[in-house]
Amino acid sequence: MDPAAPGIQEPFDLIRLSLSERVFVKLRGDRELTGVLHAYDGHMNLILSEVEETILIVEGPDSGKANGTVNVAKRKMEMLFVRGDGVILVAPPSRT
Amino acid sequence: MSFFGFEQNDLEREKQQFISGQVKEDGLAEYTWGEDSYDGLGDALQEGGDDLNDETFGGVGEVGKDFDFTRQVLSDNVPAELRRTTAVQQSNGFPQERSLSPPQKQAPSSYTSSSLQSLWDSKSPFSVLPRGFASTSRVDDHHVRAAASPDLLSHSQSAYPTFSPFADMAAPVTHSPALSQESIFPRASSQMEGRTLQEIEAEMRASAVRSREAPQLRQQQLLQAQARTPPPRLHPHAQSPRFHQLQQHILIQQQQQQKQQQQQLQDLQEQLRAEELERQLRAQQISQLQQQQLLLRRQSPSGPTLAEIQAAQHLAQLQQEQRRRQRSPAADQRYHVPQPLQESAQFLPQNIQMQQRLLAELAQAEFIREYGTPQTQEEQEALRAEAVRKIMEAERMEEKRRRKAAKIAHMSRYNDLMTQSDKDFITRIQVSQLVTQDPYLEDWYCQTWNQIIRAKQGLQPEEQRVLTFDSGVGVGLGIPGQRPSGRKLSAVQRMEAQVERIVNNARQREKEKGLQSLSSLQGALGKTAGRSYKAAPRQLLQVDSPRPAANGDHSEDEYKTDFEVHAAKEAAKLRKGVLGEMHDEHNFVRRDPLTHLEVLAIIEHLYDLVLQLGAIERYDLSEDVEGANERREQRKRLVDSLYEGLRANLPIETSNPHPFISLLGPMKGKVLFPRVAHVLEEDQLLIVLTLLITCLTQLDVVAGAHLLDSMEDTPERRDMERQTNAFQHYVLIVSVLHALQKVTLRELTGILRLLRDQGQIVTIARTKPGLDLLFLLLSRADLLIHTHTYDLGADSTPQLSMEDVEVWQSEFDLMFSALHPHLTELFPSERILRAQSGGSAQIPPEHMDTAAWQFLASVGAMASLPQQQMLVTALREKVLDLVIGVKKGWVADSEERDMKTKNVNTFLHALKLDSSQIAV
Repeated sequence: MDPAAPGIQEPFDLIRLSLSERVFVKLRGDRELTGVLHAYDGHMNLILSEVEETILIVEGPDSGKANGTVNVAKRKMEMLFVRGDGVILVAPPSRT
Repeated sequence: MSFFGFEQNDLEREKQQFISGQVKEDGLAEYTWGEDSYDGLGDALQEGGDDLNDETFGGVGEVGKDFDFTRQVLSDNVPAELRRTTAVQQSNGFPQERSLSPPQKQAPSSYTSSSLQSLWDSKSPFSVLPRGFASTSRVDDHHVRAAASPDLLSHSQSAYPTFSPFADMAAPVTHSPALSQESIFPRASSQMEGRTLQEIEAEMRASAVRSREAPQLRQQQLLQAQARTPPPRLHPHAQSPRFHQLQQHILIQQQQQQKQQQQQLQDLQEQLRAEELERQLRAQQISQLQQQQLLLRRQSPSGPTLAEIQAAQHLAQLQQEQRRRQRSPAADQRYHVPQPLQESAQFLPQNIQMQQRLLAELAQAEFIREYGTPQTQEEQEALRAEAVRKIMEAERMEEKRRRKAAKIAHMSRYNDLMTQSDKDFITRIQVSQLVTQDPYLEDWYCQTWNQIIRAKQGLQPEEQRVLTFDSGVGVGLGIPGQRPSGRKLSAVQRMEAQVERIVNNARQREKEKGLQSLSSLQGALGKTAGRSYKAAPRQLLQVDSPRPAANGDHSEDEYKTDFEVHAAKEAAKLRKGVLGEMHDEHNFVRRDPLTHLEVLAIIEHLYDLVLQLGAIERYDLSEDVEGANERREQRKRLVDSLYEGLRANLPIETSNPHPFISLLGPMKGKVLFPRVAHVLEEDQLLIVLTLLITCLTQLDVVAGAHLLDSMEDTPERRDMERQTNAFQHYVLIVSVLHALQKVTLRELTGILRLLRDQGQIVTIARTKPGLDLLFLLLSRADLLIHTHTYDLGADSTPQLSMEDVEVWQSEFDLMFSALHPHLTELFPSERILRAQSGGSAQIPPEHMDTAAWQFLASVGAMASLPQQQMLVTALREKVLDLVIGVKKGWVADSEERDMKTKNVNTFLHALKLDSSQIAV
């Protein structure tokens, strides 16, 4: 590991670094979250605040077309408990 | 001859006798088996399995006596002492000596009777057999009685066959039959010829009493035995094979007990029947006696003879006894049924209920008697109802009490199932899950909350509720409620002892492991120990393991050395004075700015340090307690590494942004700052502060401040607003304000110059954090100057020479002149409005400008008259705009109106004006 980032030995250490930081969370079911991470556990249960959830709703190609339309639904939540079994990835938000 | 230790001298002697003396007697050596003249050579034969030959062939004594019904009558003719002697002789096995005893004519019969005695000495094979067989002698007892009293026999003959077996069954085990025989036989034999009815009666009574007492005795013994059998214990090695054995054993025991109980019950029943029979018998006797008496009276009308009187007395006695017997012991004996308890509890209530009902009725009767017969029917009814009610109530109470007692009895079956050590063992298992390296940290939320609560209540945040032992291992105890008292206290003490034991054991184990590293491999391939709690998810304590750094086990030293190499390199070149004395610019390592990941990792590390510091500071550092010095040193070390961790002593040009500024980037870096600033040394803090001001433009909140100059609600803007607020709160108000409290005017001047030197004071002033910082600086300077002016005597303020004030003033002038052309630009609202050139302009909310107004007010207070003039001129339009807007009622929102008035007044008051003075 990077010498400047000591104490990182396991994947959870990276998540630990993101505590009280804004994180990007990808969930099963075409959902994505960004929010401030407050707590996590070994099951990847998360507690996020100031969450914005993005849901991709793919309309099936029923008219025979190859690709269906994709709708995006967004909603915001003050505080959210995310159950760990739905978490695909946790990442720091992309920085531009 | 004898290989097996048999007596041989007998044989030898017999031979001698045979050869020398005995032969002469008859003159002929006849092989007469079983007679006096028998030479005994048969005894000398060594054959297998002839141990019992004597018994088999009647050589020693009698084979048995069960079938010998006539023996007793006959034996009674023989004097007692004679019988005894023969018994002794025969048991000794000297057939020859029998010739010495004179009354040999009736030998066979006397044999039978006396051999009975020999049964009970140790040589008899019967003595080896279970005692139960021996009780057959009781039969004889009854036989004696039956045979000796022909009149009785005639009466009871029909009942007899059923009678005796019961008595037999009820015969005591321990009751020595020999004894009973001894007590009966002599009497029976000596008085055989002329036994009176009384004597027979007495004898019968005695035996009846005995037979009655015997089962009770046995029951008592059983009870004792049961009491002695300990309750089944939960064995510590609960799953060992031995445990199953034990279980089986217990099962068998229980079965045996049940059998015993059944037997007892049978005995009881039988005894009851026997008593019933006896009673019948007695009744018959009595009637007979009465008849006899009648006869006697008829015979001697002159008056009762002595015998008659005696008989009458006896009759009375008998009747009395019978009456007594009506409440036969059988009922009592129910109380003695030892097991199971429920059974007795079922028996018991009936009696009690009966008694109660009787008592109640009695009470009622008494009540009625006392108050006379009630007048009317209703009263009577009422009384009865009342009485019934009372009775019912009493019964209910009784029922309740009984149920409770039964419950307690039921539960008490398990009393003392666990010993104290068992309980301790379990407590240890439970507590061991709670013992941690740092009890305070484990219990952090509780402890902190407790501190807050106590602070709110105005109580001393005194003792921590943690149990600790050296090296900090211990258990958190939660919230201190009221002081623990009595049982609770002792429970705490017990737990303390347990914890101590756990810790010591763990330490011991660790030591052993260290001593013999080989044995640490023991059990590596799996353990056979059956202790189930080892499977608990949490590992047992490892006391001597290095303190786990909160972020993994990466050793801190490693981290430090890595850092120190670098820091030492840098520190030498670093002589950054407070007054902007720059380091030499030749010798430093330029680096890339810290990455976000690095920043986060460093912050995490700093948090760990802060927490460790907090742990140390919980101890009293000032007092001269043992270990206080160590702790102080440790604290010093921690503070130093904390300061180094901040990277504040790296040259400013190391990177852009400076590592320290990078650390303030994330939210938690800002949150961390006041906690760090709180523990840093004064000079360290000053350096940090200087660095912060020097690199202010590099701060994310300053660099990104332009994001706030917009009305659009973007995530970035929101984030920036959040960050800005956090910076203002955590860094400026909590930390910088705190730090500025100790800053002298000279230092303030230096800081101001630092800001100006970068030539970016306008840029800084156009950001909210910058404005806030400048406002803080000016306020502090104002305070310093004025306290000096007005309160010379105050020794809290450092010496403030006129020179210092002048320097400050000139610095301020420079700043003012720099800012003057951009005064309106300080207002975010102005900037926003300017950016929204044309179109539908949104009016920015007034609260955005508050910081600017505050800053300008502080400037105005500090400014000289011409400067104030310039200020007013520059801001005249802005002020008028607000005041007119408010007064004309163009601003709809009342809050907004208030805010505008307030802001304008903040500024105008500094110039000793007021918005009300402005005429519209």
